[in-house]
Amino acid sequence: MKEKTIYEHLREKGLSRRDFMKLCGTIAGMMGLEFVPPVKALGKTLGQSPEEVVAQALKTKPKVPIIWLEFQDCAGCSEAISRSSSPLLSNLVLNDIAIEYHETLMAAAGFQAEKAKEECMKQFFGKYVLVVEGSPTLADDGIYCTVAGKSNLDLLKEAAAGAAAVIATGNCACFGGIPAAHPNPTRAVGVAELIKDKPVVNIPGCPAIPEVTTGTILHFLIMGQLPETDQLKRPLPFYGNTVHDHCLRRPFYEAGKFAGSFDDEGARKGYCLYKLGCKGPTTYNACAGLKWERGLSYPVQSGHPCLGCSEPHFWDGGGFYQGQSAPIIRLDKGSTANLVGVGVAAGAALAGLNAVKKSRAKKDLRKDQSQAPGSEPGSKKEG
Amino acid sequence: MNWTNILNFSRGPLLHVAMIIFVAGLSYRLVRVLLLGWARDRAKNKGSKLWGVIVNYLKGLFVLPFIPWVRRTFRHNELTFIAGGLFHLSLFLVLVFGTAHILVWKSLWGFGWKGLPTPILAFFSAVGIISMIVLLINRLTHPVLKMLTKFPVWINWLVVFLPMITGFIMARHLWFRYEVIFSLHLISVSLLLIWIPFGRISHFLFYFFSKTIHGAQAGKRAVTP
Ligand code: HEM
Ligand code: HEM
Ligand code: SF4
Ligand code: SF4
Repeated sequence: MKEKTIYEHLREKGLSRRDFMKLCGTIAGMMGLEFVPPVKALGKTLGQSPEEVVAQALKTKPKVPIIWLEFQDCAGCSEAISRSSSPLLSNLVLNDIAIEYHETLMAAAGFQAEKAKEECMKQFFGKYVLVVEGSPTLADDGIYCTVAGKSNLDLLKEAAAGAAAVIATGNCACFGGIPAAHPNPTRAVGVAELIKDKPVVNIPGCPAIPEVTTGTILHFLIMGQLPETDQLKRPLPFYGNTVHDHCLRRPFYEAGKFAGSFDDEGARKGYCLYKLGCKGPTTYNACAGLKWERGLSYPVQSGHPCLGCSEPHFWDGGGFYQGQSAPIIRLDKGSTANLVGVGVAAGAALAGLNAVKKSRAKKDLRKDQSQAPGSEPGSKKEG
Repeated sequence: MNWTNILNFSRGPLLHVAMIIFVAGLSYRLVRVLLLGWARDRAKNKGSKLWGVIVNYLKGLFVLPFIPWVRRTFRHNELTFIAGGLFHLSLFLVLVFGTAHILVWKSLWGFGWKGLPTPILAFFSAVGIISMIVLLINRLTHPVLKMLTKFPVWINWLVVFLPMITGFIMARHLWFRYEVIFSLHLISVSLLLIWIPFGRISHFLFYFFSKTIHGAQAGKRAVTP
């Protein structure tokens, strides 16, 4: 029997043709096709609108399973998706366009759940998408995070073996995130550091913007390949610009008008948050463009500096409320005193040693030349 | 290796090491000078040392710069004086009143102050950069100056110029991704900090040293320094 296409499945569920085309438009938007010319993003389809490309794909492709694993995480990225501003859409993506195995959200539990996953992996070997949330941990063979008696490293390798693509969602899965914060006791790392033989895409954030995760999943399902990415494997449609690039406080930045605290005159006037620790200039994420809560707002708009949650070293890259230009020096309390103390002590000690050595040498010289002593120390050198 | 990691390295360990070398190197230089000792000043105390010091600073900072023609440096090479003066002024404003730099001071001492508006700062950093280029051309073309300029002096120029130009490009968001130019700025700042104790740029420390001592000596003799 031929597999049912997504379109057929949706029609069976009672979706009209008209609604279907509308849906395709929405999906094209979610894939970030608004931000880049479709030709570039899709690598084909000159003359075809993004909706048509999406419709074409949905009409020809069968549903693809998504296996969603959680390692060292807070489930915040799953939370974000399940409560996203467009729950209908994410539902649609996760249930109607894809089939899903998600340990936290699925109804089944225990051995039943494990069995479901294994069957899914077997049946769709080489076809399914693996989504990872939370960081894998290397220390002591991964025993710090185990599910059903298996270490996270084994689980990851096992699931990645049959995956067509791997999507790491949230800063933890991408770069280690909070579990990797100094001193990183479990040796948490990003998924891409372990999975080298499969295409991996990173959707960092804390949490990842739900529309970006679903958008990237859709991109893969529809285009059959992962979107173009930057150096850190982040899809360019969503991570091509910094928060600072599209920030609505940017004119104040250019003018040098900064809020000095959270409740001063400047803060009330909507001034730039650079002095309050904004990491917008170095943070690549879709916040300022896509925004959160169906385009309602995003942190900087609502008055909070960007924390840089989509970047590596998110947790260790200097204080959240400390200006970005401040050096990151980890001596904590009294670091300046330490710095000056160590420096002065070392310098003075060296100079002292040097002086002693010189005066000894000079004494020897004097002895050799049997020169009469009596002149004032140092007086000869002055001048 | 990616630029985000390079930025974290330059904001962290690199800058840290550079600062330690800077502080250690300068205190080495200072202690060395102090250990040389100085000749007992047998002159009778006729005036006030403190007064001499004050007058010396006022004269050096607020009087002479505005009547430069009484000085030989100026009469011999006006350009050096004017461009040099503008360069030091810009450098001072950028380092002390640039918002990004105030945040550096704040992280070191725990308090900050208000910065200058960015457009004014942009103007002065441009002035500083142009002055440096003028100074360079002057050195390259002036026959006597050229002969006097040895290798370390070219290094001096370079290690000051690099932070200036990278800072300017970064603040205007030109050409580079921010984390790239930020890293380059910090790497060049670290170079500067490491080089200072070994070269003549340490004059900013010894300037105060010699100004104070000469002022005091003159004050003691009740003559104008
Ligand atoms: C720890 C040391 C330093 C740090 C962390 C630092 C950081 C920065 C940052 C973040 C900016 C850009 C601000 C923005 O985006 O608006 C900047 C600008 C600049 N920096 Fe630095 N800097 C340091 C030292 C220096 C030094 C030593 C020099 C010169 C010798 C210098 C020269 C400049 C200049 C000329 C600008 C451009 C200012 C403007 O035109 O608005 N910086 N610096
Ligand atoms: C209180 C602070 C400072 C004072 C009073 C001061 C004073 C002077 C004076 C009098 C000169 C001309 C004499 C000479 O060539 O040796 C000079 C030159 C120079 N200074 Fe400074 N300086 C200060 C700080 C600095 C700093 C912080 C830097 C760099 C980071 C700097 C970089 C230079 C350079 C590169 C020259 C050579 C300019 C040329 O090519 O002619 N100065 N300074
Ligand atoms: S608030 Fe942050 S992102 Fe916005 S302009 Fe200021 S520094 Fe840039
Ligand atoms: S504004 Fe910055 S910290 Fe906040 S969600 Fe966006 S990228 Fe993350």
